[in-house]
Amino acid sequence: MPRIELRNPLAWILGALFAAFACSTSAPASAPPQPPTELSARDKPWDGGGVIFLEWTASTTPLDQLQGYEVLARELGVTAAELADQTERAADAAAERETESLLEGEGIAPEDADQQARLEVRADPVAVPVEQPEWKSIAIVPAGQTDYEATGLEKDRSYEFAIRAIGADKSLSAPSASSPPVVPEAAWFNLSKLPLLVALVLISAAVLVFVVLARGGMVMKIRTIAGLKAVDEAVGRATEMGRSILYINGIQDMDDLQTVAGVTVLGRVAKTAAEYDAKIEVPTSRSLVMTASRETVHASYFSAGRPDAYNPDLIYYVTDEQFGFVAYVSGMMTREKPAACFYMGSFFAESLILAETGNSVGAIQIAGTANPSQLPFFVAACDYTLIGEEFFAASAYLSGQPDQLGSLKGQDVGKILAGLFILVGVVLATIQAISGSTGLEEAVRFLKDVILGS
Amino acid sequence: MSAQTPINPDSVNVILATDCGSTTTKAIMIERVDGVYRQTHRGEAPTTVEEPFANVTVGVINALTEIQEVSGRRLIDDDGVIIRPASGDEGCDIYISTSSAGGGLQMMVAGVVREMTAASAKRAALGAGAIVMDTIAANDRRRPHEQIQRIRELRPDMVLISGGTDGGDTKKVTEIAELIAPAKPRPRFGKSYELPIIFAGNTDARPEIDRVFGSGGFDLKITDNLRPSLEREHLGPARDMIHDVFLEHVMAHAPGYDTLMSITDAPIMPTPGAVGDILQTIARGRGINAVGVDIGGATTDVFSVFDGTFNRTVSANLGMSYSISNVCAEATMPSILRWVHIDMNERELRNRVKNKMIRPTTIPQSLEALIFEQAVAREALRLAYLQHKEFATTLKGVQQQRTVGDTFSQESGGETIVDNMKLDLLVASGGVLSHAPRMHQTAMLLIDAFEPEGITELAKDSIFMMPHLGVLSSVHPRAAMEVFERDCLIYLGTCVAPKGSGKPGRPCFSWSLDSGARGSGELAFGEITVVELGEDETAELEAKPARGFDLGAGPGKTVSRTVRGGTVGLILDARGRELSLPEDPEHCRQAVSGVIDAVDLYPEAVPPGEGSAD
Repeated sequence: MPRIELRNPLAWILGALFAAFACSTSAPASAPPQPPTELSARDKPWDGGGVIFLEWTASTTPLDQLQGYEVLARELGVTAAELADQTERAADAAAERETESLLEGEGIAPEDADQQARLEVRADPVAVPVEQPEWKSIAIVPAGQTDYEATGLEKDRSYEFAIRAIGADKSLSAPSASSPPVVPEAAWFNLSKLPLLVALVLISAAVLVFVVLARGGMVMKIRTIAGLKAVDEAVGRATEMGRSILYINGIQDMDDLQTVAGVTVLGRVAKTAAEYDAKIEVPTSRSLVMTASRETVHASYFSAGRPDAYNPDLIYYVTDEQFGFVAYVSGMMTREKPAACFYMGSFFAESLILAETGNSVGAIQIAGTANPSQLPFFVAACDYTLIGEEFFAASAYLSGQPDQLGSLKGQDVGKILAGLFILVGVVLATIQAISGSTGLEEAVRFLKDVILGS
Repeated sequence: MSAQTPINPDSVNVILATDCGSTTTKAIMIERVDGVYRQTHRGEAPTTVEEPFANVTVGVINALTEIQEVSGRRLIDDDGVIIRPASGDEGCDIYISTSSAGGGLQMMVAGVVREMTAASAKRAALGAGAIVMDTIAANDRRRPHEQIQRIRELRPDMVLISGGTDGGDTKKVTEIAELIAPAKPRPRFGKSYELPIIFAGNTDARPEIDRVFGSGGFDLKITDNLRPSLEREHLGPARDMIHDVFLEHVMAHAPGYDTLMSITDAPIMPTPGAVGDILQTIARGRGINAVGVDIGGATTDVFSVFDGTFNRTVSANLGMSYSISNVCAEATMPSILRWVHIDMNERELRNRVKNKMIRPTTIPQSLEALIFEQAVAREALRLAYLQHKEFATTLKGVQQQRTVGDTFSQESGGETIVDNMKLDLLVASGGVLSHAPRMHQTAMLLIDAFEPEGITELAKDSIFMMPHLGVLSSVHPRAAMEVFERDCLIYLGTCVAPKGSGKPGRPCFSWSLDSGARGSGELAFGEITVVELGEDETAELEAKPARGFDLGAGPGKTVSRTVRGGTVGLILDARGRELSLPEDPEHCRQAVSGVIDAVDLYPEAVPPGEGSAD
C-alpha cells in the first residue's frame, strides 16, 4: 500500500474513506473459513478392515460461504510396536557407546561398565526421531455433510485424520485438530450380511427338513413337466417310424451347468431308447461332453439290461466351432430325418436353426435351456420346452429320489421367501410413495439394499 | 328268405331280434304300429350252446316261441323254421342276432409300442366287441420268453398284429410275429381250427409277416394299417376284418352257429360291438356326446362317443358278483363305506362281500344288503369310468403345433377325450342298475359314479335291448332309432350339476323352470333336490351359477336349455364337481344321509324287491 502523509483535514477525511472502502471490499475475500471441530474417527465395525468412519462438527462459517470439506489423512510412519522396537534398539546402541567410554576413561570392569551405562541410559532415555508422513487429501465432501467413510485403507495400520473447510472462494481453513490414531481392523463377522445368513439358514433348514420328510415316506408332489413326460412319446415315435433319435447337449463344455443338466436328461432318454431298442445319436461340440455322454449312455443301456445294444460310435465329437457344428447337425437331420430331436443344454444363435430344421423333417422335438433369449425360439419351433428351472429340476423329477425331491422342495421355500420379500417391498414402496413417510423410506431402502441387495 | 338278401326298409313291418348270451337267449319283436316302429313283445330261453343240446338255434327257437305264445303271432312253422316274410298274423320280415355265448369274442393284440400301435390295435379289437386277453408290445417290460409263455397260455379266437407306420419300422413288428408263430397259441375250438391272424401294420412288413406265418397252422389275413402314420388312426378296416373273421371262423366253429348265420338277415355281431354301434348311431343321429355302461357280474363295459370318436373299454375285474372282491380290493373298504349311511362296520361289509362271491346269483333280501350292494356298485362304476378315461385318449406320438403363447401351458399328447361337461346322455344297463327297486337309486348311482357336469340326460336300458338295436341299425337305422327312443330307453330325468367347489351353505346356483311357472329356487353348495318333471315332458330351464361355478357356459354364466323329464325328474345337484365327501366318517355319514333324504332314495315303505341279477 503506498504511504500517504495526512497533513490537512481533507486529507484525513479522504484517508478515512479510502480505508473504509478498502475494508469493505478486500477483508471478506481474504478471510479463510473456520475449520471444523470435534473430529472423531472410529473403525467401521463388522467389516473386512480398511474402512474408518469419520464425524465432525461443521465449521462455524455460514454454509453459503463454504464449498465443502477436504478430508486429510496420513498413515502414521510407525506403529506402536515398531516405535517400541526402534526405541529399544536405540537404547541398546547408546548403552553400548556409554560402556565403551566408561571403559576407556575410568578403567572399570566391563560388567560394571555395562550395568552403569544401562542405568544411565534408562535415566535419560534416548528420543527416537520418528518421521511422520505428509497429510494427503483423500476426499472432498459437500458443505452440508459432516461425516465420511474413508475406504481403501490398509488393514492394521494406524491413521490420523484432519478436516479442512473449503471456502466459497476456494480458500482453505486451517486443519482441524487431528483425530486420535485409529487402526482399521478386520472383524470376524460382517453383520451387514446378517439377512443373507438368516436366509441361508432358513433355506438350508427347509432343504434338510424336506429331505428328511421325503426319506420318511412323505409324498413330494411335483408339477408334471410336459417335456419330460413326452420323452416316452418321442422315443416311441422313433421306434414306430424306424428312425433314429437325435440328442444335442448344447454347445458349451462340461463346466457349464446346463451341459451337466443336459447330460442328466440324456441318461433318461438313452434308457428309454434302450428299452424300446431305438437308435440314439449324440453329436457333440466338445470332446469332454462326448466322453461324459458316452459314459452316461453306457450306464443307461446297462441299467436297461441292454449293454449289448450300446454303440459308442453313435456318440461322437464334431467340432468346437459353433456354426461348423450347426451345419453338420442340420445336414445330418435333413439326410437321416430323425423322428425325435432333443436339444438340452446351453444354446445361442443356433437354437432356431436346429429347431426349424427338426420341425421341417417332421420330428417330435423337446428342448431345454436356461438361456432366456433362446426360449422363445424353442417354444415356437419345438413340441415341448423345459424352461429354465424346469430344466435343472429335471434330474430330481426323473430320478424320484427322496434326497433330490426334498432338495427341490426346500429350494422352493427359498423362492417363496424371495417372492414374499419382493411383494412386501413393492407394497411398502407404493405406500411410501403415496404417503412420503421417511420411516417407510428407510424400510424400503433396507429391503432393497440390505436384504435383496445382499 | 335267404340270409342277408337286400332289404327294402319301407316294406318291413315285423322284426325279430335275438341276443344269445352265455346263459340266456333274449328275443324281442318289433312291429310297425301306426307307422312307427315299437318293441311289442319279448321272450327268453336258456342258451343251448353247451351239451346236451350243443346247438344255439334251439335256444333261439325257444325264445321266439315264447314271443309267439305271448303275442299270438305265428313265427315258427311246423319244421321249426322262422316264417318269412310277414303276412297277416304270421311271420316276420327281418331276423337278426348278436352273440356273446361261450365267452364272446376273445382276442390277443400286439403292436410295437404299447401306447401307440398296440393301443390302436386294442381300440380296434374292443370296438369290434372283443375281450382283449392281453397286449403284447416291444416295450411291455416282459422278456421274450415271458411273452412266449404268456402267448402259449392264452387261447384266443384270433390275434390282431399291428406295428410300424407305413414306411416305418419293419424289424420289430417282424420280431413280434416271430414270437407268436413259434409259440403257436392254441385256439379254443379244437386242433383242426387254424388260428386267424389279422395283420394291420406297416405295409412294408407284409412279405416278412407272410413268411413268418406261412409255415402253416395259421390263417393270415392282411388288411390296411390301422396306424398309417402316427398322426392318423384308421380302425375301420381292421374292425371289419375282425367281424368277418368272427363270422367265418369263430361262429362257424361254435355249435349251431352255422345254422344261425344262415337264417339271419344281417351278420351276427358280438354283443358289445352291437351296443357300441347303437350308441354311435344315436350320438351321430342326435349330434350329442354319449356314454353307456353295462355292469355285469364279472366285467363292466363302458362305451363313449365324444365328438364322433367311439371308445369302448372292458374292465375285466370290476363286477358285482364274481369280481366283487376285486372291486373292494381296488376301491378299498373305506371308499365303499363312505356311501353307506347306516351302521355297518368293515367286518360286516367283508362278510357280505364273501357271501356274494360264493353265491353270485343271489339278490339283496334286505335294505342293508341293497345299500351295501349299491355302495359297491358306485365304486365299481367309478373305477371302470376312470379306466375308460385313461384309455379314451388323443393319439400319442403326434407332433404338436406351438406358439410362444404356449410357453407356460404346454399340453401333452395322450390326454383323455372324455369330458363330463360335454356329456349329453348317460345310459345305464346291467343288473344292479336296471333292476334297482327305485329309478331314483339308478339315477343316483350314475350321478355319484360318473359325476356328470353341466346338464346331462340320464337313462337306462329297459330290458337290455341295445344289442338287438345295434345290429338292427346296420340294416334298418330308422327302426333302430325309433325303438331306441320310444321303448329301449327309460328316461330317468336330467341332472343339472355345476362344476366347481365352495363352502357348504354358500350359494351355488339359482334356477327357474319355464320362467318360474313350474318352479324356481336357489341351491346352496352341498344341497341336492329333485323337481318333478314327468316322462315325455320338457321344460325351459334357466340356471345361473354363482361365481366360481360353471354349468357349461363358463364360470358364473347363465345357461338356458330345454330339459327333459323322466321317471325321476329334474335332479338339481349342488354338491360340486369333483364330488368330494367329508373325510371324517361321522360327517360323511351325515352328508350322505342328507342326500338320501333329499332324493328320497330309500323310503321305508318301499321294500327292496328285485335286486340286481347279474
